[in-house]
Amino acid sequence: MLKRYSVSITRTWCVALLALSCFSLHAQVDTTGGAGDDEDYSQYDNVGFADDGAKRFCSPKIEGLSPAKLISVGYDYQMGYQMIADSLRTQSTFAPWGNFNPDTGEVAYSHGLRLACNIPVVSKTSLVWQLGANYWEQQYEFKDGNSLSNPMLTALRDNGLRTMGINTTVFKPLNDKQFLLFQGSADMSGDFQLSKLMPAKYLKYSAAAIWGKRPTERKQWGIGVARTYRVGELNYIPIVLYNWTDASNKWGTEILFPARAHVRRTINSRNMLFAGYELEGQSYRLYRNNEPSANYDMRREDLEIRRGEIRLRLMYEFSLKGFVWVSVQAGYRINYRYDVDRLADGAEIYRGFGLVSDAPYVMVNQLTNPLYFNISLNLVSP
Amino acid sequence: MKKFIVALVVILFGGLFSGFVQDTKDGDRLLGVWEPSNGRARVKVEKIGSKYYGKIVWLKEPIDPETNQPKTDKNNPDPGLRNVPLKGYRMLKDFVYKGKDEWADGTIYDPLNGSTYSCTIKMTDENTLEIRGYIGVSALGRTDIWKRLVVKK
Repeated sequence: MLKRYSVSITRTWCVALLALSCFSLHAQVDTTGGAGDDEDYSQYDNVGFADDGAKRFCSPKIEGLSPAKLISVGYDYQMGYQMIADSLRTQSTFAPWGNFNPDTGEVAYSHGLRLACNIPVVSKTSLVWQLGANYWEQQYEFKDGNSLSNPMLTALRDNGLRTMGINTTVFKPLNDKQFLLFQGSADMSGDFQLSKLMPAKYLKYSAAAIWGKRPTERKQWGIGVARTYRVGELNYIPIVLYNWTDASNKWGTEILFPARAHVRRTINSRNMLFAGYELEGQSYRLYRNNEPSANYDMRREDLEIRRGEIRLRLMYEFSLKGFVWVSVQAGYRINYRYDVDRLADGAEIYRGFGLVSDAPYVMVNQLTNPLYFNISLNLVSP
Repeated sequence: MKKFIVALVVILFGGLFSGFVQDTKDGDRLLGVWEPSNGRARVKVEKIGSKYYGKIVWLKEPIDPETNQPKTDKNNPDPGLRNVPLKGYRMLKDFVYKGKDEWADGTIYDPLNGSTYSCTIKMTDENTLEIRGYIGVSALGRTDIWKRLVVKK
């Protein structure tokens, strides 16, 4: 009796194990597939949408484009250069004014943290909407810091410059070939303290609108206009987008002219080299009152440094692990402008490259051009 | 009493079984051929065991211009898989129907960069899918709309 019972139990276990092994075999799915099956793929040449109203939309990306950065933590370093600071002048007569003496500062190096994030809020076929935030700083380390007399140089020595802002990007495909792209940002730039931000009237607003076409999977182009501070002061300029990848996927361009333009060499989808330039700049308000330690209260002068620079550079971007990418840059920083405007209550002067106004700067400064390096760790987008 | 227990068991198991059948039926609405928004590929969703998989069955540009041969998965991080043809490649894997028109626990593979993302699928109507690929958390992702295709006879 006991023996029969034991045999019955053993049989039950065998059946269970057999069933389990069948299930496990069934669960081992070929993870790759490939065309080795007997599917007649030609039947999928002739298909139509089940829903007659279905529409195709073009993607914001093209094949081979470098991945967009969702989160970026970086560090920027400029080697030594000379900063020749002007005296402060009146806007009407351009005569020296105030307790500003010309002075030359030897910058041993300037450096700073660069943080940015861009998070998709809506990411659908028919609309992509991203919100972002950024924080950049630039600290100036002078060789002869204690002997500086020009208040702009002492403000840079003591406070450095910061930009923090928010931005938004909207990509709206019109159909499978055409799209609209909008970008807007509000930035606070100056020598302010994080514990004491500047009033909203000093915010700088930038925007761009582009109409574009994406004729193939490997090319997109567009034209538009931008309100920008990239050359330091406010400008309205035409812009051109041109992203392209060649048939071999080895070469391409990533251009948003005149803000930046790069030739891309793709080693493979996880290693890319770039050569090109970026135009960087902003209008920095000298806001902080350093008295009594400093010899001047900068706030009362309503001054803004119009900083614009061209960065000729080589970049190497690669996947460190999965979606974590590293970007390394080395290049030459060419000063385009580091002049100062007097903007009462932040009211803008629009020169339009001298066509609209020829108002003089109240300080015309000169910077020599150093090598620079930048490294960042990035989480990239799907 | 004995009859009552039998009836109870039948009702309980019957209910569970009918729920299972209904879930299976609902989940199987994912089966079929779908086109991503870029129109670059067509993907056939199949069921293997209790999970759903999607393989590429059509490519807009099937030939690699560099080699003049059918495209392979040349961006795969695993060098051993780079010669696998893209046509037939399972780019959607391991999806489980969770109810309420959602399939989850799966992954989506992007042959353009060789990356695999976590993925959820939401059926907004019988002919439309919202496919969301993401990194770690759903907020860090992108949603693509796929439309159902019918094979013309």
